[in-house]
Amino acid sequence: MRRVVTVVPEAGLHARPAAKFVETAGEFDAEVQVGRADEGDDGLVNAASMLGVTGLNVRRDEDVLIVAEGDDAEAALDALEAILSTPESGDGESEDA
Amino acid sequence: MPDERVLSGIGVTPRVGVGTARWHRPEIELSDPPAPETVDPEAERSRFETARDRAREAIERERDRAEERVGAEEAAVFDAHRQFLDDPQISEGVESALGDGLPAEHAVQRTFDRFVEQFAGMEGRMAERADDLRDLRDRLLRILTDATTTDLAAVPEGTVLLAERLTPSDTAALDPERVAGVAVQTGGRTSHAAIFARALALPAVVGVGDALSDVPEGAAVLVDGEAGEVVVDPGENRRASADESAGASVREGRVTTTDGRAVEVAANVGRPVEVDPAVERGADGIGLYRTEFLFLDRDAPPDEAEQMAAYRSALAAFPEGRVVCRTLDVGGDKPIPYLDLPESENPFLGERGIRRSLGPDADLFETQLRALLRAGAESGDDGGGEDADDETGAALGDLAVMLPMVSRIEEVESVLAVLESVASDLDSAGVPYAMPEFGVMVETPAAATLAGDLAERVDFLSIGTNDLTQYVMAASRGDERVAALHDPLYPAVLRTIRQTTRAADGTDCWVGMCGEMAGDPALTELLIGLGLDELSASVVTVPDVKARVSETDSEAARALAERALAAETVAEVREIVGIE
Repeated sequence: MRRVVTVVPEAGLHARPAAKFVETAGEFDAEVQVGRADEGDDGLVNAASMLGVTGLNVRRDEDVLIVAEGDDAEAALDALEAILSTPESGDGESEDA
Repeated sequence: MPDERVLSGIGVTPRVGVGTARWHRPEIELSDPPAPETVDPEAERSRFETARDRAREAIERERDRAEERVGAEEAAVFDAHRQFLDDPQISEGVESALGDGLPAEHAVQRTFDRFVEQFAGMEGRMAERADDLRDLRDRLLRILTDATTTDLAAVPEGTVLLAERLTPSDTAALDPERVAGVAVQTGGRTSHAAIFARALALPAVVGVGDALSDVPEGAAVLVDGEAGEVVVDPGENRRASADESAGASVREGRVTTTDGRAVEVAANVGRPVEVDPAVERGADGIGLYRTEFLFLDRDAPPDEAEQMAAYRSALAAFPEGRVVCRTLDVGGDKPIPYLDLPESENPFLGERGIRRSLGPDADLFETQLRALLRAGAESGDDGGGEDADDETGAALGDLAVMLPMVSRIEEVESVLAVLESVASDLDSAGVPYAMPEFGVMVETPAAATLAGDLAERVDFLSIGTNDLTQYVMAASRGDERVAALHDPLYPAVLRTIRQTTRAADGTDCWVGMCGEMAGDPALTELLIGLGLDELSASVVTVPDVKARVSETDSEAARALAERALAAETVAEVREIVGIE
């Protein structure tokens, strides 16, 4: 199962959006890979890897390809698409003040 | 005498140290890998796993140590290291290299180098990842090759440590008892090396550049963390100045001048992690607690309970001392989304500090005052039941509340009325509270001129020299073209300070000073002579200021101050005070 999503958060796939993306990818049984849409399958990295995801250096407004294989693949794609389509979640901040 | 050679960089601590150069070169050169058929992949896999376990343990140890010495924020870098260590991409990369018949160390190098290269090409925070990965790679390689590199915690006493770069794990290991100074080729004012050096009060210069690499091992080196200079083969005069500036040892308890005048030496604190270092460095209390940290970088203001807990933990750290909390001091220069701060043509002359607290932020201000009043209550009974915290029943120091940016008597009168109304609300609700000492910052020329009238109404005045200098000299701190005018030693500024202390003479109102000037030990005698009762210094220089207080004769100090006040130029003042 594959999906192309445009990145909305200001920080692109860096810092908090990336951390959230990686954490969410790890919550599903499906094997998830992510890459730049224009690089196709060759650019895919493990979506549960912070190094891999931030290493893509994807910025705001760029398209990414997400590929998921497994029973809950569709749910995983929905959850990851939601993260990439939300401007900046803003939660998780209050704890570190 | 050999000729001295001076290299320039960025000084990060107001300290000079001299010692023997010792290079820290953690990079490991691997020889070419053996032929794949001679390598046992299973054995190599197990070597890698063992090395990874050992690295994980070491990272956790260093994390705790860094948190203890510098604070949670700096320690967080080790969490990133631990995360990378277990990252699936690293595991996959190493696994694939082992599959190609490489020994564990070569597999580690190949895998990490790929990521280092990838991140080094990126901008900003992402480029810092490359440094983290190098640090982690070298740690694994050291373990795998049993490399004997410098144990930074065990260098000989009097070592001046030289390095191309210092990683967080390197800097966390530095022992200030042994290291006389640090000079680094790379890095800026906010690099890990700089932050740790400041926290440990080590003389340090960063960003020296390639010229540093020519300094031979074993050379005599002086590190001037104030001027930002590294001096190779320093002459006698230089060395003498280094001896003078050697850091003072920590003094517990109050100090007095040689003739018995008590001068309180407190610390300026801007983040909770600085509270413990302030205690460790012998501060008598906190002279300026910037409460902004509670309000920045979030989406909604902190509620009363959260604020109260923060103030209480600072008070608990100084059971014998005083904690002066400055109420929220923001204006158009700092973005706080939920406050809707107006764009201002000149934010430093706009609606900020007390002007906002008595205007658009009135509700926020009242909440802050409630939290402060409640935080000062010694009782273990928390009244409402919902706010019980772990400081309950602990001995607490004395709370003082201070207003920023005051320029009119009416402002103080208004705040006193709010204070009374908050106290009476708490009374009727049966919530325990304590009335704090109450004071204002003297940072506008208006407040200095009105100091006598202010002193009649408040318990203390605290002179904020950074802003006061800016407003007296009409010279913006941030504008390089007029930066030279931003000098608290200009006679106009000194006379404004004296005007303030004199106005409080003969009243019960004490006068303190917070701001960089108070933390400069070279100025301690002058400030005592100008009549200050309290000096609030940066955490790093607290021991030096205390040492200077105890060496000062207050009569001599007064004479020095009189001469400085009579001077007409900053050059004369500098000559009188004896600084370059």
